[in-house]
Amino acid sequence: MKRATHPAETGQVGRAVPRLESWLKVTGRAEYVHNLRLPGMLYGKIFRSTVSHGRIKRLDVSAAQAVGGVHRVVVAADLMTVVPDLHFGPAFHDQPMLAIDKVRYVGEPVAVVLASDPHVAEEAAHLIVAEYEPLAAVYDEVEAMTSKAVVHDELKPAGTFPDLKHLKGKKNTNIALDFHLRRGDAAAAMKVAHRVFEHRFRTQQVMHTPLEPLVSVAECTEDTITLHTASQSPSFVRIEIARLLGWPENRVRVRVPFLGGGFGAKLYIKLEALVGVLSLLVKKPVKISLTMEEQFFHITKHATTFRIKSGVDRDGRIVARECEVWWNGGAYADIGPRVTQKSGFTAPGPYEIEHVAVDSYALYTNLPPAGALRGFGIPQLVWAYESHTDMVARELGADPVEFRLKNILRDGRPHATGTIMRDAATDKVLERTAQLLDWKKPFDRGSGSVRRGRGIAVGFKACVAPTTSFALVSVNVDGSVTVYCSTVDMGQGSDTAMAQIAAEVLSVTAESVKVVHSDTDVTPYDMATLGSRSLFHMGNAVKLAAEDARDKVAALKREAGFPQDATLKDVFKKKYGMQAGNVLGQASFVPGYTSPDANGLTDNATPFWMVGATGVEIEVDTETGRVRITRLVNVADVGTPINPKIVETQLSGAAIMQIGFTLTEKMEFDAEGQLRNASLAEYKIPGFHDIPERMTNETVEAEQRSGPFGAKGVGETSTFGVSPAIANAVHDAVGVRITSLPLTPETIFMKLQESK
Amino acid sequence: MRREVRFRLNGEAVSAQVAPHESLVEVLRDAFGLYGARESCGQGLCGCCTVLVDGTAVSGCLYLGILAENAEVKTIEAGTALDAVQEAFIETGAFQCGFCTPGFILMTRQLLDEIPQPDEEQIKHYLSGNLCRCAAYPQIIEAVQLAAIKRRKA
Amino acid sequence: MQPFEFAEPKTLREAIALLDTEMARPFSGGTALMLMMKAGVLHPERLVSLGKLGLDKIEIGPAGELRIGSMVSLRKIETSEAVRRGWPAISRTLLRLSNVRVRNVARLGGHLAHGDPHTDLPPLLSALGAVATIAGPAGERRAAVESLYAGYLETTLARNELIVRVDVPAMGKKQAAYLKCTTRSVDDWPAVGVAVVLDGDQQTIFVSAATDKPMRLASVDEVEQLNIEGDLHGSAAYKRHLMRVYVKRAIHEARHPSR
Repeated sequence: MKRATHPAETGQVGRAVPRLESWLKVTGRAEYVHNLRLPGMLYGKIFRSTVSHGRIKRLDVSAAQAVGGVHRVVVAADLMTVVPDLHFGPAFHDQPMLAIDKVRYVGEPVAVVLASDPHVAEEAAHLIVAEYEPLAAVYDEVEAMTSKAVVHDELKPAGTFPDLKHLKGKKNTNIALDFHLRRGDAAAAMKVAHRVFEHRFRTQQVMHTPLEPLVSVAECTEDTITLHTASQSPSFVRIEIARLLGWPENRVRVRVPFLGGGFGAKLYIKLEALVGVLSLLVKKPVKISLTMEEQFFHITKHATTFRIKSGVDRDGRIVARECEVWWNGGAYADIGPRVTQKSGFTAPGPYEIEHVAVDSYALYTNLPPAGALRGFGIPQLVWAYESHTDMVARELGADPVEFRLKNILRDGRPHATGTIMRDAATDKVLERTAQLLDWKKPFDRGSGSVRRGRGIAVGFKACVAPTTSFALVSVNVDGSVTVYCSTVDMGQGSDTAMAQIAAEVLSVTAESVKVVHSDTDVTPYDMATLGSRSLFHMGNAVKLAAEDARDKVAALKREAGFPQDATLKDVFKKKYGMQAGNVLGQASFVPGYTSPDANGLTDNATPFWMVGATGVEIEVDTETGRVRITRLVNVADVGTPINPKIVETQLSGAAIMQIGFTLTEKMEFDAEGQLRNASLAEYKIPGFHDIPERMTNETVEAEQRSGPFGAKGVGETSTFGVSPAIANAVHDAVGVRITSLPLTPETIFMKLQESK
Repeated sequence: MRREVRFRLNGEAVSAQVAPHESLVEVLRDAFGLYGARESCGQGLCGCCTVLVDGTAVSGCLYLGILAENAEVKTIEAGTALDAVQEAFIETGAFQCGFCTPGFILMTRQLLDEIPQPDEEQIKHYLSGNLCRCAAYPQIIEAVQLAAIKRRKA
Repeated sequence: MQPFEFAEPKTLREAIALLDTEMARPFSGGTALMLMMKAGVLHPERLVSLGKLGLDKIEIGPAGELRIGSMVSLRKIETSEAVRRGWPAISRTLLRLSNVRVRNVARLGGHLAHGDPHTDLPPLLSALGAVATIAGPAGERRAAVESLYAGYLETTLARNELIVRVDVPAMGKKQAAYLKCTTRSVDDWPAVGVAVVLDGDQQTIFVSAATDKPMRLASVDEVEQLNIEGDLHGSAAYKRHLMRVYVKRAIHEARHPSR
């Protein structure tokens, strides 16, 4: 693949540059931690809890230890000889590396077998014997609010989030966070509203299933440790491992090559703490590489219950909305509290509503932990508010699109938090979606056993704030450019985007820029690659760092008495006596943000909004209830795209993923909290035959003025509206309303029978 | 327990000591340092572990290494220059994280060998045994169609 | 997975002798076997490969019947011109059976002997009146494919018996179809599978997937008598309903093939 090193003649930003790592990926040579092998490395196989809540009465590892080739079988007490406190987590320090005294969900890690042959480790793990004294368990998020079955004896906030401090030491509760927003007086407004509508919606627990399952490797010396890990948040891993070990940060190195998918699964601490302490314990490199099945026991997406109530006036304006959301966080909080709060404040939807009340609760239950999954809580909220808004519109006899446009939150108007909307093309996105679906034209719903329907939904998301990104950009003496940043390319094209931004500033081609992958010894701090924040935050940092480098080069030439078109080599030769060296530009970027007050109100809730709408046309086979998507359109506001091709693939990929969460995916538990379908044979993700017959992905003309070259994130945007658009289309086709995901053929068929 | 298995790997005569329970993916990885075929679902459903044995595509994670005896084994690492399929995947942006990509490329080559001008249904059908969680499916269809054109021109 | 002995006998007699123990399993394509071993469901100490027994031919017999050796890969059957011309329902069914890589490796004998009611060929071959030739220590015997199934993953084959060949009668004027219904992603184990063969006024119907083994029905009404249990593919009531729908659809498909 030719890498152009001559100066660029055309703009680098706005160009459909093929991904920089293309050759590596099509030849199978891209580096993934999945493939990493180190000399002397031991493989760790995790032995897991078989009960959902219990006290460990007996743990007998002797038979496993005796298996030939087993190096060591490790339990929590062993780890505690290295590190006194095994608990980690971004919001709460509630999750132990290995279970101590108690297990809180089926699949929780209890012990680890280390062996140089992974087959031996696996066989030995089967020989470990554990006995539990069962404790009362709770699985439902609403039940967990008041249940006597309490998952954690005492809450242990990590101190990272100021709004969790008040929970320290709290007992007898499963509520890990409660977020409240009050604007005006919703209760009073409901009483005098012309019409009031109330509905309840549910979503199911699902899993990201990246095709490279979670994997981490640790190797150590006397006083340094290196984690090679498939992680979206290397900087966080370094900070947290340093904290756990009581070491300075510079003794902890975290390296991340490419990720075989992330989608939010590979965030914060997953396997890193465990492999790190194991390697310190046995003084050998340790790798834990999960199987596809095992991933289900480490991180998932919150199931939810959402009660939503709207008061509408005679003109069809929504005057009040009450939102009560319960988030099923599983046994360990992970980043659930942030989902509860940061997504919670968008629960009323992208509508201008004078009186708003939001109560959002993060609950502990005895299920596998839930955390960040593409959309970060927004898809669950949009599912409810866009199904509800559609139902309200139809009840009022209003056109669903017109009703939305009448109420939509437009630029310059205040959001529920009080923040004025800026650079959020909500109306444009909705209008274009309706236009693409020919919404105003009559639609033939058919009359035979196959019926047709169409539906639309619009959603929005705030970006997590405040967060920091640092970047370094080096201009080497031969004019070539290197970017150092801790943003992780998990397939969303961040390497290419950062290269395009630096190239634009420095007038070179994007293809010629080298982007150095995350290595905390080399690349500076970045909050994490999540929530569609990187293009905006790191993109801004890279742009500023490139400008810094550019300015420094110009200053150098001036000071050395050279014209601006002189080569850097000549300048260096004169100034330093050597034609070697580089000019390093640096920058940090933290956007403005104001913390919400006690009522959840703030005038600066987010550095940017993501806005996405989806429209679908479907067929319903009324004999079986099966849905077929004949047409799907995604329209998004992504500001001005840096790479239009990559943007398109992000819109299409996220929507197809969301189709899986809408129609076919569900983690199925039995009455004892045992997961019954932890494998791709029984947990069905979309394949070629599940994609819409026709798909259109568009961005509206827009600019994020505070974004690098007018751009902002796109990775999650087309997850927002997919689920409710499909449910709205089902209702349009056959007149039944499903309020729970997934929309299985049986659910639709049974509802059809009921309605007859 | 281990026996010597002799076969041809990417055009070269090789041999390896293989235990009966080792899969072909494990042999390729551990004995030859080839990582293009990866075990992901472990059940033959995702295609990340696709390897060609005597010209047919198999799921390497379910294929015993000892069965490679005397066979012609080809992985994504075979060859030096990019072929029409690889070029087409790059031009249409038919991958994101890239983990499933080698499997898709090998299967696409098989498809085009059998059906040089496949229609969309045939493409979806032949590749339905390959999963992509990034869901690059629409772009992959374009890539296959472009590769067919490139092959025809060559 | 635990290590095991991998035997490669050159004769049928040798193979049968090696199978005369609890801890041995025959190995044809190995797809289903490998899955069960990786899942820890089976721990055979010996695998007996059937690859060197010369059971890999497709021929037309003297009565115009299709004779398929038990070690013929499903893919070879799928792409056989003779099968496409003479038994198109088999080719069409194979097109949707799992995926290409599985079909490249899976063999007819292993597919039939697995005894999983979710697989596609058992109900179809039963409906087509296929007959299996089975080799054992006492010699060979013949049995209708429909008689091979006793229950979920249970066949009527003895531990040391091997299917060596399957014969499918010539179609003549008969029409046949196999349809399956999946309830999650389109490519999934079926909730319901229905094979139908029409011969003038006569209808032969075999249903599977929702039942423990392929079941012969005299008419769609007999769906009510079937023992069906709910699972991740659907409740019992829903699967029973699907079966009624798909029996009718399969009959229609047999009369008016869509491809």
